Amino acid sequence: MKRNITYLLAILTATAICSSGCSKWLDVQPYDEIAEEDLLSTEDGFRMLLNGIYIELNDDMLYGGALSVEMIELMGGAYALGTDDSVWGNYNDIASYSYDTEYWRTRFNETWDKAYSLILDCNQLLSAIDSRKGIFSGDNYYIIKGEALALRAMLHFDMLRLFGPVYSRNPDADSIPYYTEYDGTAHAVQPASTIAAMVLQDLSEARVLLSVDPVRTEGTGLDGPGAGATDTFLYYRSLRLNYFAVSALLARVNLWTGNRTEAFKYAMEVIQAGNDGIFPFVDRASVSGSPDDPDRIFSSEVIFALSHSQRATLFEDYFDPSRLPNYVFTMEGGLFSNYIYGGIGTGGSLYDYRYLANWRTTGGNSYFYKYSDMANSGNIRNTMIPLIRLGEMYLIAAESQSDDIASGLQYVNILRDSRGVDPLPSLTADLLQYEYIRELYGEGQLFFMYKRMFTRVLFSGTASGNPGPSDEMFVVPLPQSETEN
Amino acid sequence: MIEGTSTGAATDLDGNFTLEIPDETCNIAFSYVGYDTYIKEYNTRNADSFRRIVLQANTTELADVVVTGVYERKKESFTGSSATYKGDQLKQVGSSNVLQSLKTLDPSFKIMESTQFGSDPNRMPDIEIRGKTSVAGLREEYGTDPNQPLFILDGFETTLETVMNLNMNRVASVTILKDAASTAIYGSKAANGVVVIETKAPARGRLQVSYKGDFSISFADLTDYNLMNASEKLEFETLAGVYTDGNGDPFNQVRLDNLRNDRLKNIARGVDTYWLSEPLRTGFTHKHNVYAEGGEDKIRYGIGLSYGNTQGVMKGSGRQTLEGNIDLIYRTGKFQFSNKLTINYLDSENPAVSFQEYANANPYYTKYNSEGGIDKYLYYPEEGADDYPVSNPLWNASLNNYDVSESFGFTNNFIFEWFIQDYLRFRAKFGITKSDDDSQTRLSPLHSQFDDLEDTEKGLYTHSLGKDLTYEGDAAITFGKLLGGKHMVNAVGGFNFSNDRTETFGYSANGFTDDRFGAPSFANNYPVGETPDYDLNVQRAASFYINGGYAYDDRYLLDFNYRLDGTSLFGTGNRFRNTWSVGLGWNMHKEKFMEGTDFFQMLKIRGSIGNPGNQNFSSYRAFTTYRFNGWMTNIFGTGVIVNELGNPDLGWQETINTDIGADITFWGNRINLTFDYYWKDTDPLLAIISTKGSMGVSSIAMNAGAQKTHGWEATFKISPIYRPSEGINWNISLNATSSRSRYADIGNSFSQLNEEGKASLSGTTRYYDGGSPTAIWAVRSAGIDPATGQELFIRKDGSYSFTYDSGDETVVGDTEPKIEGILGTTLYFKGLYIGCYFRYRLGGQVFNTSLFQKVENIGTEDVYNNQDKRALYDRWSATNREAYFKGISLVQTTDKSSRFVMDENTFTGESINIGYEFPDRITRKLKMSALSVQMTMNDIFRVSSVRVERGTDYPFARSISFSIGMTF
Repeated sequence: MKRNITYLLAILTATAICSSGCSKWLDVQPYDEIAEEDLLSTEDGFRMLLNGIYIELNDDMLYGGALSVEMIELMGGAYALGTDDSVWGNYNDIASYSYDTEYWRTRFNETWDKAYSLILDCNQLLSAIDSRKGIFSGDNYYIIKGEALALRAMLHFDMLRLFGPVYSRNPDADSIPYYTEYDGTAHAVQPASTIAAMVLQDLSEARVLLSVDPVRTEGTGLDGPGAGATDTFLYYRSLRLNYFAVSALLARVNLWTGNRTEAFKYAMEVIQAGNDGIFPFVDRASVSGSPDDPDRIFSSEVIFALSHSQRATLFEDYFDPSRLPNYVFTMEGGLFSNYIYGGIGTGGSLYDYRYLANWRTTGGNSYFYKYSDMANSGNIRNTMIPLIRLGEMYLIAAESQSDDIASGLQYVNILRDSRGVDPLPSLTADLLQYEYIRELYGEGQLFFMYKRMFTRVLFSGTASGNPGPSDEMFVVPLPQSETEN
Repeated sequence: MIEGTSTGAATDLDGNFTLEIPDETCNIAFSYVGYDTYIKEYNTRNADSFRRIVLQANTTELADVVVTGVYERKKESFTGSSATYKGDQLKQVGSSNVLQSLKTLDPSFKIMESTQFGSDPNRMPDIEIRGKTSVAGLREEYGTDPNQPLFILDGFETTLETVMNLNMNRVASVTILKDAASTAIYGSKAANGVVVIETKAPARGRLQVSYKGDFSISFADLTDYNLMNASEKLEFETLAGVYTDGNGDPFNQVRLDNLRNDRLKNIARGVDTYWLSEPLRTGFTHKHNVYAEGGEDKIRYGIGLSYGNTQGVMKGSGRQTLEGNIDLIYRTGKFQFSNKLTINYLDSENPAVSFQEYANANPYYTKYNSEGGIDKYLYYPEEGADDYPVSNPLWNASLNNYDVSESFGFTNNFIFEWFIQDYLRFRAKFGITKSDDDSQTRLSPLHSQFDDLEDTEKGLYTHSLGKDLTYEGDAAITFGKLLGGKHMVNAVGGFNFSNDRTETFGYSANGFTDDRFGAPSFANNYPVGETPDYDLNVQRAASFYINGGYAYDDRYLLDFNYRLDGTSLFGTGNRFRNTWSVGLGWNMHKEKFMEGTDFFQMLKIRGSIGNPGNQNFSSYRAFTTYRFNGWMTNIFGTGVIVNELGNPDLGWQETINTDIGADITFWGNRINLTFDYYWKDTDPLLAIISTKGSMGVSSIAMNAGAQKTHGWEATFKISPIYRPSEGINWNISLNATSSRSRYADIGNSFSQLNEEGKASLSGTTRYYDGGSPTAIWAVRSAGIDPATGQELFIRKDGSYSFTYDSGDETVVGDTEPKIEGILGTTLYFKGLYIGCYFRYRLGGQVFNTSLFQKVENIGTEDVYNNQDKRALYDRWSATNREAYFKGISLVQTTDKSSRFVMDENTFTGESINIGYEFPDRITRKLKMSALSVQMTMNDIFRVSSVRVERGTDYPFARSISFSIGMTF
């Protein structure tokens, strides 16, 4: 009996020992998916997550289509549309601001869901990074955290610009929710002014963190680390939300909220960086020298661009004249020849580098070639979709230097000088808008410009073809996925 | 032993005995441990018949013990609610599988009838014990059926598939554990009830070989189909305007007239094709089982081999199983080692064309063309006509398509027992199960599905491979002792761990250029944009458990259970969970005041409460996982984004399960009554809930609200004739069950599902507080307005309206019947056995989808399918204003209204059987030790108050089977 009890005790002890490792044993990490604990245990994991967000910005529903050349530009009046309903039906709906169609409800839903899913990715990164500060080498902790904050702010800001009120008229109207963390609950929509303040706060924090950004000393590094080097992380800074991109965003946001002083301050900071040679104006030779291989996106001036490995599809899908008659986006002829690249007293000229590099006229029609590849096919410039560029900073400076737009003339004329066209004698809001169209056509900013200024949208050279302004056309209703769950 | 005296004798080793008997009529009783006592009258002249006495193995004994898989307890002193059925009993009711028989025997065990998949032999059924504990309708999200009970085979957890495939002849007993007191020992997996299956252990003695054969034929039950014949269909199409050009185009009108005339001519010629018979056959099923067993005190062995071939009632549908098993028991001193090894192989095939397509084919088409060949199209529109071609189901079925799968696996369960003292026992178990399955489907490039594709993309081959490895270990100490003559104490304590690893791979290929050559090597491409599927799922669990039972003088009973479960399924914040239960019982028939009367053989009142949990959920819900955004890389390399957002605080779904019940047996064991009333409150529910888009994910797993179920079940059994000594016994049994569920505190969590349901054509399930999971939601209808032919709806406030508004939806019925059960009778007469079991379902409603979709709501495309006869008759028109259905129209949609909700009362002949056990004098002549035959008819008839098409993809079957059992 005694011996039996000894055996029994031995068995029980063995069991107890086995079970002490229980919790660990129960911690099964997935193999067919990447577990957060695995991923975010190294700097490399954080870099991959951050890069994943940059890559996803190229999604068709975001800046790889809808928010760069397609939906948002249709809303911004950039394209003349056909009348054949089977080809143009949905596009005519959006160009007439009929947001409540099945097709566009779904499209806005997809854009919204995608943007917020990337905000979630930013928040996942940000909520993990502080406790693991020790794993980062050099200044990379500051750079990664700063970029993630800036991405979160940029995505929220674009949702605010799209779905929020016309800020100058209704700053306190309900707009969108802001997420600074994932806590398992849905956040309520908040007034536009509150959201804008949060965007500014995230951007300011990002700017402080990114003060160590090598872009400030080394430039954009768009030519890479050189042959043989594999770590590209601190190069190609204009493909990331770098220090100056954050400053540029601050200028953009402050202009949106009507804070001219701040807008001007940040725009001038970036302009100064341009003058310092970090974002030099494009060389005449590289846009008009050899016509077959122009740097169409003026890459040296780009402060922030996405890198889209199949960018050529943008050109092929929307602008390539060989696609006729389906979906070829071109500017309305009257607008093109009487206001943007012609006309009297409009500042339009066919010697404008922006015309020479970005447009080709055949058979009386002009086609947009900004997204057509350069001859050198492996060039990183062929992947760039510009989201912020130096020219916009000059335009912001012109608009924000004081409440008298005419005094901003000098900034517009510096820009025009670098485009090879004569200076304007004076500046008006209309002339500023034409300059915006020349500079930022096909980059998804026009609709927001009209919404900000609350003016009619220039679809054509005929005044009757230009609708608005109205809250109905500028404020997109919140998507169903937000209102119905 | 001579009854009424103390005279008796014991047999020697060979069973011979000598007994002095008085020279007068007396009863002699023969008894042996484990066998029924056999009493035989000696009347001085029948001495010869005492030459050979065969005792029947004691079969009632099993039913008096509750086998929980962890411990065994005397039924009389157990406070839980459970029911035990012997293998033979299950076999008598039906020979298809254990579950089908259980359904007939136990009211709380339900197999959900699938109106879509009917009697498809390869379809795993949905099973419930005492209703649902999880949100209905979310099966896809959960991965497995969240209401499925836990299956335990020989003490180890097993799968529904294994139980379905289990050879019924091996089954010794099945116990259904229903309430908390009996299930809580399984802790967090037990909320849906537990089915405990024990297989037979080899019997001691000389080598004995037995053969069991089952042969059955099954045929489709098409009584619920009510399709039009050729002339009815043509008339319907004419009335629906199929042959009238809507735009008044004279050329097209001529074409349509010609088309109609051609069809009329065909009908006049006698064309009236009955398509439904085409894919069907009489299924022949045969199963064989050989088992050899024997051994002496130390070693016992059993070796079995079985083969089964099940043919479904649809051509090309079948299932073959091959199973071998070796059972070994070795006992030495205080130690016993037993091992059960089972190896199984399964292959199954499914038809390539669903039954639906035959039901859709119009009767005015002919199956074969004039040359006797099969055309690809029944109808192909002329150039320029605005019609769709109609493909011929026979053509698609005649092609070289296949949909086959096979699986191979083994299970080895090893048990070590150490009988330390007669009251103390240690047991360690280890079981391992490995199974691999492989399924392949191929659709021929000539299949009409590929008509619109390029030649290089036609045909489709898919292959998927699954590997599953499960192991489970358990160590437990069992104590049982009667202390001080009155205090019976039982206790079990143990530790259990398990690991389940499931890995699946899959890919598809297309671009077959020829019908005949179907090997995957003839595929030319992978479908554009498709990637290989791969899924690896590892679930681990570790648990400690303790069970105690105390009985005072067999009168006052107490049971308690406690289990601590940990599983990898749940997040670090909620990794461990406690399960507890307490049961109390009172054996009134043992009380002093009942002494003197022996009217009651049992009068027990019991009650229990506990909180078993449910973890039928896919793993990793608690973790946040990431994936590569594989569609693009950039100069910085690759990137990852969130794949699925975990919820580390996800709470276990748990059910507070309360049960009160009574077991009453009286009138000399002739009347038997069991009654249970129960409450099952599941709180919180675990659900996948769609979220606001701004949360960044479309859905998350979270705890939301509660579901409260209460119900009762009762079994009444009476034996008007009960003469066990003569082997004559007639029983009548009636059982009934009823339950009601409702949601609570779910708020707006399921608003998305509600909206989807409202928007869908025929979704009638809604999720609202206070609503039942089985409720039918629709707008009330006042019928068809005779004047206008429009449907008149009753709004929420009681006013009438012609406009349908989904906001006016109310509960218009409930698919859960008010009462459901089985009426059964069995008669044993010497060796003859007759049993009949009829199922009744009363007081439920059904949303008649046949009326909704095949009478009304026939759209412009559906009109080319054959329809329910009622689509032609009783339709509103200017001459038939009192009709129940709207006028014939192709453009009108009918909304979900109470007009299609009907009371459903059914009565089914679930099992009718007759068997005969041959007496010894015959078996001896045949050199056998036992011989029995049996015939069973399953689902042989069904009467229902509603006519709705059942078995749309696969028809229901009726079957008749014959079984033979021989032991040598």
